Amino acid sequence: MSAFQPYANPRYFVMLLVALVPLIIGLLRGRRHRNYETLVSLVFIVLIFAGGKWHEGVALIGYVLWQLLLVMGYTRYRHKANRTGAYWTVILASIAPLVVVKVTPVFTVHPSLLDFLGMSYLTFKSVQTLIELRDGTLQQVDPLFFLRFLLFLPTISSGPIDRYRRFAKDYNTVPTREHYLDLLQSAVHKLFLGFAYKFVIGYFLGTLLLPKVAHSALVHHHLGGGLGISWALVAYMYVYSLYLFFDFAGYSLFAVSLSQLMGIDTPQNFNQPFKAKNIKDFWNRWHMSLSFWFRDFIFMRVTFALMKHRVFKNRIHVAQTAYLINFLVMGFWHGVTWYYIVYGLFHAGAIIVNDMWLRYKKRHHLPHNRVTTALAMVITFNVVCFSFLIFSGFLNTLWFK
Amino acid sequence: MKKRLWWIFGPALCAGLIVLGLVVVPVHFSTVKSHSLATAAVSLKKNVLVGERLKDEAVQRDYVPFMGSSELSRLDAFHPSVLAQKYHRPYQTLLLGGPGTQSLVQYADNQSLLQQLRGRKVVFIISPQWFTPQGQQPDAFAYYYSPLQTTRWLLGKRGGLADRYAARRLLQMGNTKGGVHQALMNVAAGQPVQGLLRTRLQISLQILQNEEGLFGRHTSAKNQAKIMQSAAKLPFKDNQHQLATLARNMGAQATNGNQFGIRNHFFDKRLGGDKLSDLKGAQAKFDYRRSPEYSDFQLLLTAFAKNHVQVQFVIPPVNQKWATYTGLRSGMMTQTVAKIKTQLHQQGFMHVLDLSRDGNQPYFMEDTIHLGWRGWLKVDQTVKPFLEQRQAPPQYRLNDQYFTKTWQQKLIH
Repeated sequence: MSAFQPYANPRYFVMLLVALVPLIIGLLRGRRHRNYETLVSLVFIVLIFAGGKWHEGVALIGYVLWQLLLVMGYTRYRHKANRTGAYWTVILASIAPLVVVKVTPVFTVHPSLLDFLGMSYLTFKSVQTLIELRDGTLQQVDPLFFLRFLLFLPTISSGPIDRYRRFAKDYNTVPTREHYLDLLQSAVHKLFLGFAYKFVIGYFLGTLLLPKVAHSALVHHHLGGGLGISWALVAYMYVYSLYLFFDFAGYSLFAVSLSQLMGIDTPQNFNQPFKAKNIKDFWNRWHMSLSFWFRDFIFMRVTFALMKHRVFKNRIHVAQTAYLINFLVMGFWHGVTWYYIVYGLFHAGAIIVNDMWLRYKKRHHLPHNRVTTALAMVITFNVVCFSFLIFSGFLNTLWFK
Repeated sequence: MKKRLWWIFGPALCAGLIVLGLVVVPVHFSTVKSHSLATAAVSLKKNVLVGERLKDEAVQRDYVPFMGSSELSRLDAFHPSVLAQKYHRPYQTLLLGGPGTQSLVQYADNQSLLQQLRGRKVVFIISPQWFTPQGQQPDAFAYYYSPLQTTRWLLGKRGGLADRYAARRLLQMGNTKGGVHQALMNVAAGQPVQGLLRTRLQISLQILQNEEGLFGRHTSAKNQAKIMQSAAKLPFKDNQHQLATLARNMGAQATNGNQFGIRNHFFDKRLGGDKLSDLKGAQAKFDYRRSPEYSDFQLLLTAFAKNHVQVQFVIPPVNQKWATYTGLRSGMMTQTVAKIKTQLHQQGFMHVLDLSRDGNQPYFMEDTIHLGWRGWLKVDQTVKPFLEQRQAPPQYRLNDQYFTKTWQQKLIH
């Protein structure tokens, strides 16, 4: 039997929506049927990992038990002590499986046995929980609830990445009828918008157009002094960028929509990213749950650490270093390949240049009007599209294959 | 609350019902414009082959199916489609086939067409290269698999040796699923397809038909453009002598870059560099004499006979210089062709154009195994009168022994 793919075909939607009907009726009557929800989630998770992907299912169980052990162990420890060494040990232990999975392809063509669909997204949730335990903003973790948070069905495969306390607030209360009706309305809207994004626009761009443009670009690989620079490559850049957005934003809309039906207001992932006026603005609009995670747990932490230890005298250098580390980690998180890492460095460079420009603009009182804003949007869009061309890995195929 | 719920879910519900309606209710789709049909008929696109609408409409409007495989895409100036268009012949060509379409694909994908062809004519190019020890490649079958045509076949009256054999072969291809798979198991076991399973297939047939009606009309105009280009090179009048000279000249020009008489473009792209030396003697072990393909071919013959279709068969040759270079055994080829011809003649299929001895003629082949300039012209000398003149009604005598392993493995001298 072919494995079940989240949000991949009409069958998945119909089955999931039908399964959610009792839950929706319950929420409308002011009740949250938590056990039923858990049962539905378990059945679907089994279906997703049954069939050809059973080994991923085994990896998932092992992974979840490992994270549970770390989080519960650290919670107990944290009530007694707060040593930095212990903190870093659990963090490293928590990300260790992900590191193994990401590094494995460098050495062998066989994917790691630890890998399963959605692992990197679960790691974000788990690490975030550990960090908040260290900070003291989180003091008690209920093991069963932690599992529900980690394995929350709508977001299990690719986010959006929720936060423990935010999720707990939604989960432990029942929305008022008025509020829940608002959620339902938003859910239906997002579901259909997602269909249009992923199955109409994304399908057209990714399945119909992209292979043609790619083929044409590969035919012209000898142009531009062997760099393969051709109009087809430029077309590939734009088509891929738009495809990436519509496919992933469509997927995220499904995840948020299904969460809302379940009475959980999972955070948004995209907010019209191509309208961004600069790179910083872009990261406040693109894959938001990921970029905010990186902002809160990498960028801010690095900045504080650098300031605390007075590594740099100049505050600007602090920010620049923090950006570099932030985006480099993000690059590695995508995968250990040159193009993901260059993609990370490119964005760090772009954001540093952008900061320099903003300071220059302020100092010299440069004009700021509709035209400059429009120009800023156009430049940002093109810089972002170029970064996605790097990200796509197509240059790797074009140059080295 | 009820009112608000209706406002939230009502539009979604309506949308769902409309989509469901469009998919499940029998819709009558408008007829295909003759221009689109002309483009589709020569497009060689997969959606034409696996579908039924375009094919069925085409044969109702004087198109004659030319069934075959990869040679159909050699659209030089003397290709049947070019000649038919240029000289406004009373027939136009409906090209059905591509790389990897062997007898089983042609049989499975043309179920509706074979019924439409009752009493009509077909040109069938049967390549000896299909008759490998394995027969139909499962990968190619999966690529050309048509759930629509297979479902239609299953819903027809099934029983008898040919149907059981066909069901077994389709199952062996290993890519059937769901209701179709179950029904194939029934037919293979000699059981009827009935009850819930039948209803399920009927619903999915309707869905597939509507899907084709809604989305199946897009084809590529690339081949039609090529045909127009090729046609522009032909003389104004349909004159055998002039065409023969032109074919010789164009063939000579296009193949001047290598010693095999292979079109330069093909030679450079497919045989250039080290590839050529690797292929020396590479076909010495090829054997087309024993193959399940003989029985798959019999499925088509059975369908042709049952519908009284008049078929002109063409057996193309192999480029002689190429055969010598690759070590392809001529004795084996002779026996293969003899076996195919025996199977045809014994059952009353008398229109067989055997070109297998013409592989040494210059500019006959476009490349290694595909007909070109003079080869196409030679085909035309037989096909044109066959299609333009009335033929005596065929007297077919089917024989089920061709479905047996014994025949598949038998050597004919």
